[in-house]
Amino acid sequence: MINVNNLTKKFGKTTVLNNISTSINRGEVVAIIGPSGSGKSTFLRCLNQLEQPSSGEIWINGKEIAQEKNKELIRKNIGMVFQHFHLFPHMTVLKNITYAPQTVKKISESEAKENALELLKKVGLSEKAETFPNRLSGGQKQRVAIARALAMEPEIMLFDEPTSALDPEMVKEVLDVMKDLANTGMTMVIVTHEMGFAREVADRILFLDEGQLMEDEKPDSFFTHPNTERAQAFLEKIL
Amino acid sequence: MNLDFSQIVPYIPFMLEGIWVTLKFVSVSILVGFILGTLLALCKITKLPFLKGFADAYTSIFRGTPLILQLMIIYFAVPQLTGYDISAFLSAVLAFGLNSAAYVSEIIRAGIMAVDRGQTEAAEALGVPYKDMMMHIILPQAIKNILPALMNEFITLTKESAIVSVIGYLDLMRRAQIVGADIYRNFEPLLFAGLIYWVMVFVLTQIGKVVERRLRYSD
Ligand SMILES: Nc1ncnc2c1ncn2[C@@H]1O[C@H](COP(=O)(O)OP(=O)(O)O)[C@@H](O)[C@H]1O
Ligand SMILES: [Mg+2]
Repeated sequence: MINVNNLTKKFGKTTVLNNISTSINRGEVVAIIGPSGSGKSTFLRCLNQLEQPSSGEIWINGKEIAQEKNKELIRKNIGMVFQHFHLFPHMTVLKNITYAPQTVKKISESEAKENALELLKKVGLSEKAETFPNRLSGGQKQRVAIARALAMEPEIMLFDEPTSALDPEMVKEVLDVMKDLANTGMTMVIVTHEMGFAREVADRILFLDEGQLMEDEKPDSFFTHPNTERAQAFLEKIL
Repeated sequence: MNLDFSQIVPYIPFMLEGIWVTLKFVSVSILVGFILGTLLALCKITKLPFLKGFADAYTSIFRGTPLILQLMIIYFAVPQLTGYDISAFLSAVLAFGLNSAAYVSEIIRAGIMAVDRGQTEAAEALGVPYKDMMMHIILPQAIKNILPALMNEFITLTKESAIVSVIGYLDLMRRAQIVGADIYRNFEPLLFAGLIYWVMVFVLTQIGKVVERRLRYSD
């Protein structure tokens, strides 16, 4: 479903992603881990064209996405969840979720609403539909953000450290929603520092270090005997 | 102390009419300035050098020369150059609208820059087209933040509007001068006009406060 060939991204002179190649199959859950500054976010952002690769190719569903002039066409098929939620503060929770389907997909208001309420039920926030985001806790905000992304019915979901900005007691509620989503067969690419979650839910682990894809392994083998010294050092530090 | 307000009493309807005349061109000018200023602000934040250069030059010219000069150029130069006999009202709206646009564009540009970059990214990630993103996500948030500055600009415009009297437009100020010449007493009509300006600005300020309170729901 996603094919990345020799992806390189430079900001000025610094190379942030160095010649990365990998592929992700439909329904796969891939966790990206690595030290801060290793290029994880940049990799994710290249996948939905928030960043333009300096060289290399990204194929999604048989299309090279840099060739596609109409970026919206790619993006509406890929949901993204950010570390800091980025909910629209001037819209109610419901409006946050219905806005893009109505605007981008031209779905009727009533249908968008119905879908949104369904999604809110899934993330356990039915009673918050008419609330403004500032009245929500971090964990609730992130669950709304997930619902907002899902409302576009994307085939792929990207998560950039979705629990890193949360108080510890709220991490689980968000991870649970993501787990449910993984069980529905959604294709997911997740940047995370939650190693327990990555090990349990992911089908594969990508380990990035200084812009290089150092490991691409099954979780069990990655966590029990990482191949590279960099990964060993990283795991020792955080486990 | 030699004040006699009784003499201006017969002129009060004449002067009060000036409120309407002033409000008419001030409100149209504010509207023109706001719409044009928003468009200029959008030009300033694009990556297209031509639009950016145009908007910057525009702002520089309109902020760098006196408003009264702009007003007189429009009123006197347009007929001389094109033969079109421009009305005082249209000249006033053009001068004040174009001038205000320069200031408003700077205010709105700053407001847009102050909106969290994550808002743009979230909208982009959802596939929201640029125009919708600006209209529904970025500008509403920007304008909420800059409302006090915008209100300030509108108040300034209302007060500065008094200079249209130089092109003979029968606004409140001009009427005060006419009454003064008629009764050979200037202080009373000017004081009366001053009171009316103050009331207009006061009302405008109150409207601003109400709007601000309305918009604060999501804080
Ligand atoms: N827009 C940008 N301009 C310049 N440098 C950037 C930009 N975005 C990220 N970087 C740099 O790229 C490197 C990788 O960043 P990032 O992908 O955010 O890493 P991670 O998510 O793994 O912490 C960092 O050194 C960061 O400073
Ligand atoms: Mg990051």
